[in-house]
Amino acid sequence: MEAAVRIQEYDDPSYDPFSADDINFGDMLDPYPQIAQWRAQAPVLEGDYRPKMGLQSATYPDRKMFTIVGSDEILTVLTDTDRFSNHGYKFNIGETFGHGSISVMDNPEHGRWRKIFQKIFLPQYVKLWGETIVDPVVHNLMDKFVGMGRADLVEQFTLLYPFEVIYRQLDLPASDVRTFQRLAIGQTDYMHIDKAQEASRKLGEYFTALVEERRRNPGEDLVSLLANTEVDGDYLPPLVLISFLRQLMNAAGDTTYRGTSVLLTALLEHPDQLDAIRTDRKLIPFAIEEALRWDGPVAVQLRMAKQDVVLGGMEIPAGSLLDVVAGAANRDPAIFPDPDRFDIFRERKAHFSFSRGPHICVGQHLARVEMTRALHAVLDNLPNLRFDPDKPRPEIRGTMMRVPRHLHVRFGD
Amino acid sequence: MPNLIVTTRDGTEREIAAATGLSLMEAIRDAGVDEMLALCGGCCSCATCHVKVDPAFTGLLPPISEDESDLLDSSDHRDEYSRLSCQIPLTSELDGLRVAIAPED
Repeated sequence: MEAAVRIQEYDDPSYDPFSADDINFGDMLDPYPQIAQWRAQAPVLEGDYRPKMGLQSATYPDRKMFTIVGSDEILTVLTDTDRFSNHGYKFNIGETFGHGSISVMDNPEHGRWRKIFQKIFLPQYVKLWGETIVDPVVHNLMDKFVGMGRADLVEQFTLLYPFEVIYRQLDLPASDVRTFQRLAIGQTDYMHIDKAQEASRKLGEYFTALVEERRRNPGEDLVSLLANTEVDGDYLPPLVLISFLRQLMNAAGDTTYRGTSVLLTALLEHPDQLDAIRTDRKLIPFAIEEALRWDGPVAVQLRMAKQDVVLGGMEIPAGSLLDVVAGAANRDPAIFPDPDRFDIFRERKAHFSFSRGPHICVGQHLARVEMTRALHAVLDNLPNLRFDPDKPRPEIRGTMMRVPRHLHVRFGD
Repeated sequence: MPNLIVTTRDGTEREIAAATGLSLMEAIRDAGVDEMLALCGGCCSCATCHVKVDPAFTGLLPPISEDESDLLDSSDHRDEYSRLSCQIPLTSELDGLRVAIAPED
């Protein structure tokens, strides 16, 4: 790569974007009893989710906020685009990923750009990445600890592999990767907004130079593909392209790290179900969907009322921001009987963890491929997998975003 | 008010009276057929409203767009009768339309 493409560290290199996770997303062990209590009271509550859960409120412009916990109301807010908008995300992810992020747009503008990204992430295409990209990444990481008989599957595996997949997709130089990850993670440090903005600016400059370089010397990577994609005879608008690339680490890396960590934790806590999968690998898709339902990585999504609406008996003025608690619908006993139980054999019904409606996760098929490959590798390489009796059991934590920080295991003899 | 005959995955036939102005997906979903997941809500983004259309009606349907075709290719069950039902507006011409919900992927 040419020297013109340089990645820049934070002005304060001692800043640690990883340590800000707790104040941004909370560290609650089990938010679900509280959510169930709300659901029993009303489907729509006045006020935002964060302070109800003991977190500092997000810094949005002064407007009314509501928390949506009824499943019907959740589905309505996510799919009724005449009355509900994604513009609420302009106040947070728009500020850092950029206002060209399709997550901050409504249709028809949203659909115009989304279909370009959607095409890249169709199942028939991401399936191919499973072999060419995901498997080598997964095996490379696992080779480092497979002979040791013990590991922290989060620190040594799930926290690394989805990001490594992205670096390979983008074909980033190895020397840029560490700074790149620090910048990408810092973009969602909304409680230190100056750092989030600095990260956004520096990633923007980096990607802009990278796009120019890949237009001159295109490769087989995702940056080259997007940089050279034309719509109506023109390149993608720079704002849309750069925003998408900024968002990729968060949307494809962070979520998959969390989802895979929860999946492995849940299976280790239910060894009978893990054994069933060992015997019949066809159960893997059921395990993945159940893990996503039972404790999905993203507990809350944001929407905005476009007009005055009455929802679940609550009067909501136009412009209000709505915390849509996907985790509430995923644990609704009316949809999923005995909802707090992790059960890969339960009747299969669609969960809310990839959202619903026009903004349904564009990377969902890649996430499934990654989790599938990761689980196969665990089953193939880590026989007799069990919790490490000398270490603390994993705790899935988080108020907005869920993950266990460690997953100490033993395997082999 | 077109009438539809919808075959669900267990082979049961259901007759649905649909309001015009809806898409085929909306009509089937609104009739309470919960196999019709239609997770994206009808904007050609997910392929979970896949149906097989009786060939007698093929000529009355709008052509398949490239986006729809790409999404249908993601299904293991695509054949010449496959459509995404969100992409079919119901008109009075389609009265008596017969479709079957495609197997789950």
